[in-house]
Parts: sequence; structure tokens; C-alpha cells
Amino acid sequence: MSKRHLTISLNEVLFYFTRAAFGVNASIGLSEDFARGNIWVSENGFDPSRCSLKALDNLDSKASSLSIKFEKTKDGGHLFCPEGKFLSSLEASSSCVDWIEVSNGSGALKISNVDSPFLVVSALGANGCLGIKVLWTDQEKNQFQVNLINNDDWEVLSSSSTLIELSSNADMLISPLTASDESNKGNIIKKFNLAEEKLKILHIGVKVEENWDAIYSYFSRCLVKSSAESRASGAGAGLVDTD
Amino acid sequence: MTTETVQIDIDSDFMRTPEKVMRLERMGSSFPTRLSFMRTLIRRMSKENWKFERTRREVDKDGYGISVYAVTTPNRTYSLIAFTQEIPADMRTDRVIAEVWDATFSLFDGVPSQEDIDYLADNTPKQEAGRYRPSELTLSRANKSLRVFKNVVDSLSAGNQPDKDLLTSVGYLMRTSAVYGSGKFGCADRDKISDREECKAPFQIELLTVYLIRWFTIDSAEELAKERGGEKAVKLDKTTRRFIGVGNATGLGMAPFLLKHPALIHNWVVAKETALARVRSIETPIEGTLKVFLKSLLQVSQHVDEWNVEDDIQSERISCLTDEIQALRLWCENEPNILRPYPWNGIYQYVEDNFSLECQEMVVSLIIEPHGALVDDLAETMSTTEIPKFKADMSLSELKEVVADSYQWATTIDFSLGESQHHFWYYSEDKLEPRFGSKGVDDGVEKEMPLAIGRDVHDLNEKLLETSNATSLSDFVMSYPQFRHIIRRIQNTFVRPYSEVQDNLLSETMRPLDLLRFKLAFFGASKFDPKSNLWTRISMYQGAPMPDQLSEPNHDCWSFPIGGRSQSYPCINCTCQKDI
Repeated sequence: MSKRHLTISLNEVLFYFTRAAFGVNASIGLSEDFARGNIWVSENGFDPSRCSLKALDNLDSKASSLSIKFEKTKDGGHLFCPEGKFLSSLEASSSCVDWIEVSNGSGALKISNVDSPFLVVSALGANGCLGIKVLWTDQEKNQFQVNLINNDDWEVLSSSSTLIELSSNADMLISPLTASDESNKGNIIKKFNLAEEKLKILHIGVKVEENWDAIYSYFSRCLVKSSAESRASGAGAGLVDTD
Repeated sequence: MTTETVQIDIDSDFMRTPEKVMRLERMGSSFPTRLSFMRTLIRRMSKENWKFERTRREVDKDGYGISVYAVTTPNRTYSLIAFTQEIPADMRTDRVIAEVWDATFSLFDGVPSQEDIDYLADNTPKQEAGRYRPSELTLSRANKSLRVFKNVVDSLSAGNQPDKDLLTSVGYLMRTSAVYGSGKFGCADRDKISDREECKAPFQIELLTVYLIRWFTIDSAEELAKERGGEKAVKLDKTTRRFIGVGNATGLGMAPFLLKHPALIHNWVVAKETALARVRSIETPIEGTLKVFLKSLLQVSQHVDEWNVEDDIQSERISCLTDEIQALRLWCENEPNILRPYPWNGIYQYVEDNFSLECQEMVVSLIIEPHGALVDDLAETMSTTEIPKFKADMSLSELKEVVADSYQWATTIDFSLGESQHHFWYYSEDKLEPRFGSKGVDDGVEKEMPLAIGRDVHDLNEKLLETSNATSLSDFVMSYPQFRHIIRRIQNTFVRPYSEVQDNLLSETMRPLDLLRFKLAFFGASKFDPKSNLWTRISMYQGAPMPDQLSEPNHDCWSFPIGGRSQSYPCINCTCQKDI
């Protein structure tokens, strides 16, 4: 399974990405959320390993942190990492979805210094957070705006041709979508329809490329080495069954 | 009807409570019912007049090669592609760690092209080491029961029927050791097929695979006999063909599924318990049903006589069950015991008050059986598409209340005792085989699967008790992210009271076997033959009609089958009724 250029299923995205996140010491709850977000990106035709590897690498190298704080602001709230590191997008994603549920998405939420902004978008999409826009300008000065319009339709407005899934760390702003947000001029616009994209994926599978080996490597940390004893007794059956 | 609209009358006197039903000991005494998934599938095959055809058989004189078995439903065709090969006898193992098999299978969505078959010929025989595509719905494999397969082929090729006692004692020619679906190893995700009518009930495509494998095993033995015996060879007689099932060896892999899909399990159990409650609440029995039940007690006695296992615990249970069925028959012969209002409730109550769990659960199955018209609609309520969500708007006080009300079974376990945290579940790096370890003995406890529901609830409860109600849930999980998964679980299970196994899954006395039997009974498996606390063999489709028997009136009469005979009592659920 540790090969490049594989086609995997959505169920495998769930299985491997949950455990890959657990492999870099995210809690199982956050790991499950992370995998659900990756299913959403996969259903939309993205390579989930390309979207996610940086966030896992950052956690593994401790460049990012799962430590998070929330403070109220006059027009909404602010999530940030109190340790002066990148805020891991795994934690930012779940906390952001929680905030939207509690606030009904009525205010604005600022999230500071998130390491992989697109993973936050994926969590919002996976959790049906609709009628909102997400804005950020990354370290390379690429501007992105994602409009989550309804159950199926969402769009990306960007200032450059940089792939959104590769967008680097940024401060993000999440706020209610207004009519004018959907007709932003001067940007590259890419529109998505989840139902159509997902139908395609169900028939062709999810393509994963060069980052897959590293994802698999994190996943492998959840596996326990086999010993002669565990091989003989851990599954409770014998080794030869001829009858 | 959708799963979310099922009404649970949990306060009904006739509905068994979750505290009674969702205990390992009772779960480990389960039997299939007419709502089991194999029964549902066979009814659909018959009703919709599915067509079966072997479309390809390219094998050598020993039966090694490629075969294709196609089934056409009203809307589409599915094809089982079978690859057979010679393997050394000592390489046969039921374990996940096996590397070769007598036969390997892919269920293809549609009619495969030569290119598809060539692709699968390179992959299917490798099983987990191969890669599959969304055009493949399942992946499976099977090994021969060498004794039985040889006897059947030798006998048929010589013009004789096989040794009936041998056949009855084993019950199948080949035994599957895994049937993978739902996106495993690149196969199609469930979402690809979940809106197809024939796939809506749980595990239908996996069980279709098994049904086709059963046909393949019988067909292969008959063809091999013809190859060897020529004109002298005969086919299996009709009754024997129908009796032969397909074996399965099931290990720990099934247990995590059961624990990771609580909403689904809730729906399965509610359907079965609602069926039982409906029957128990009948004041005046439907004509003929009591007679069928009484005759079924005779049949089931013989079925139990043929259920022979090596496992000491199960042998003792079977022996006890034999005596109890006999005692129940005598009790039922005393007419005032059953000729009274609410007779089914009376029978159930008598059994619950006097007999073992094994007998209680068998009687549950037997009293549901004659009531197809009353309960079969429940089969449509056993699926779910629910994805559990974390509900951040729940207050901490509400969460505390839910834990106190619904999880007392977990919060009262003393996890400071070594025996309460004796086991852990993990995936081995050895082909990702699921294993059950003992703390202090086996390595890897820090990598355990998140299946310690009771312990996690218990730990959460401790933390909740020391946290102010003024704290919001989102703040709580920011501080304690280790509880996020268990809170999500609680939020989604407390409204589904039959979703949790109400026992400690880490306990020293815990037997994963109980979980396996519970799930396998819902599939429709019979003749549970435990090989250890972690592993069991079973029979599937034993007694079920073969493809050419699906249009016969007795197609739905195959619960508790008896070797060499079709069901001895008249069934009132299908058109085979004769004397009612």
C-alpha cells in the first residue's frame, strides 16, 4: 500500500488519514475530524495527501501546535495558538466548526497563523457550514476567498494560479456570505459542485500522488510490531486450517 | 420507511430493554432471525426473479483456472469472477496473514471485459496485496475443507452421493475467510451503490458474493466429478445441494466494525426487538402460527443435534439447549400453557424465566419466524447513512446528565483494577491483522484502537465532575481534546439506546467471540463453531435455495436446516404452506 500514484477509495481516506493524524499525536477525535475533512477534499477531486501532508509534517516537527485559545471580539471571535507557533489546522478546523455551530455563523471569526488554510475550508465543507466565506492571504501574498454557497456549490476566488491546497500559513477570516461576495471581479474563479464531483470520484477513485508515502508512513506508526507470540496468539486462531 | 422514522416504543411491556439486550453474554447467544440479511436477500432474489448464469469456465482437468458467475437483477448485472489454483495443504490458513488460497474472488459491477478479467487475474489472487478499482464491489477468498471436498468429488465421480454424516458434520465444501467490501483495497465505496434497491439493506452485496461463492463451490465439485468420472458421474441430489452452505472463518476484524458503527447497530437491534415485541403483543394468535411453532421445536431439536463443536463452553451450551428445547416442547404440549391470551408472550416469558440465554435467543428467533407478514417490513429499517457529528452547542450540564442517565454501566466500572483494563485492541503491522493484546504481556498498548468505550466514558465523567457547568463544551474540548471522540459518540448514541455494548470491552473476562456471534447472527449465519475466544467458524446459506430453486414455493423456509432434508414443517410465510 506504500506506493506512489495510487487510486484509493473514500473509505481508505477515512481509514488511513485518521490514523496518520493519530500517528503525529493528534487526539483520536481531532484525527477523525481531519479524516472527514479529507474525504470532503477527495470528493471534490483533490489529492488529500497533497492537501494534508504539510499539516502533519508541522505537527510531527512541532512547528505547529494543537494548543489553542479562544477570545471574544466585538464582532465575533478569535482563535489563536498561545505558544507562538503555527496553529495546527487540525485543531483550528474542529474549533472553527464548533464556533460556527454555537454562533450560527452570524459573526466573524479570525483564526491566526493557521498552517494549512485549505484544511479549515475542508472541515467547514465536511460539516455543512454553508452561507459563509473564508478569506486569507498567505505568506506568498496569494489571496484566496472561498464561498461555501449551499450543500453542493462552492467556489474559490484567487489572486493567482497557486493551487489552493498548497497555500501556506495565513491569518484567516470567516464571515457570513453576502450577495456581492459571489461576483468578485479581478480574480480567478473556480466553481465546484460537490454532488457532480463526488459521483465522478465514486466511479474513478481518489488519486494520490507523491505525498502518499509520507502519509502512509505516519499511518504506520499506529501499527504494532508483530512478534512470534502475538502472531501465534493475538488473533486467537491456528496457523494451518485444512479441514 | 427510513431508519430515522422508526418508532421505538421503549416503554412497551413487550420491548426488551437495552440493558437486557446489549450485554455481551446475551449478544453471544444470538441466532439468526427472518430479518437476518441473508434471509432478506434471498426473499428479494426470489421476488424479483433474479437470473443466474455461469458465463465462463476456463479451467484445467483439476479445476484450476477462471470462472465467471453472473446474476442479473431487474436493473443490472453483477459478476463473480473466480480464480482457482493449486496450493500446498499446509499453506491453508483462515488467518488474515494467509498468502495463498484455493480460490479467490472479485464481484464485478456489471459484465467484465477481457481487459477487466486480465487486470483482476493479476490482482485478485494476491488479495490484500493487490489493488482494486471502483468497478469491483467486493474481494473474497476461500479454502477447501479438504475432507469434504474430496469425499464429494470422489463420490459423485463414482456415481454415488457423498457421505451424508460427513457432509452434515461440516456443512460446506469451502470456507471463506474474508469478504471485503465498502472501499477496501480500492474497491467501490458503499456510496456508489447505496441507493440501489438491492443494496439498501446492510451487507447485501457482500452476502450476494457469498451466495455466488456457495454456488461456485457446488458447481466446481460437480464439474470436477464429471471430469473425473465421465458418464458415470452424477450430480448432487436436490436436497443435498440445498443443504450445503458455505463456510466462513471470522476473527477479530468484525469486532471493531460493530463498535465503530453504533447508529447502524442500534437500527439492527431495534428492528429485531420491535419484531419480537410485535409478536409478544399478539393477543390472539394468527391462525396456524402456533402449530408452525410447535413443529419447529421438533426441527430445531434435530438441528441442534447436528450442531457439534469442539469448544467446551459451546458444547456445554448446546447440550443444555437440547434439554431445554425438549422441556419447552413438553411444556407447550400442556395446552393451557399456550391456548390463552398473549400466547407468544407467555412462551417467551416462560423461557426467559426458566432457561439459558442460548435457549431464550433461539426461541426469539422461532417465535418471530411464522410472523413474516407482521415483521418483514422492519428489514427496510436496518440501514443508516448517519455520520456522527460533534454538537458544540450542547451544554456541559446536559452532557453530564446524559452520561449519568445513559452510561451508568460505564461510570460504575472500577477501572483502577488491573482486571478491568486487562486487554487492548490493536492492528498488527503483519498485514494489518487486528489483534487482541494483554497489557503487561503484549507490546503496543499506546497504539490501541479507540474501542475502549466504557473506559473513555468513565474518564470523561471524572473530568466532567470537576468542571464547572459554566464552561462551554467548545472550551472544554479545546482544553481536553482527548475527549472529543467520546463526547461525539455519546451525543450520537444516547438517542439510540440500543447502540452500545453495555459491558467493559477491556475486561479480563471479555470474549470478542460474543461480538462476532452477535454480528454474524444478524448476517444470518448458523452453526457457530468457536475455535477460541477470538475466532469462530460458521455456516452461511445452509438450507437456502440454490439459484435454480429460488422460484420454488419454499424459498423462504430455511431457518435451522437439517442435513439431508428440507424444512420439515410447513411455513406460513410463503406459498409453500400446505396444511394450514
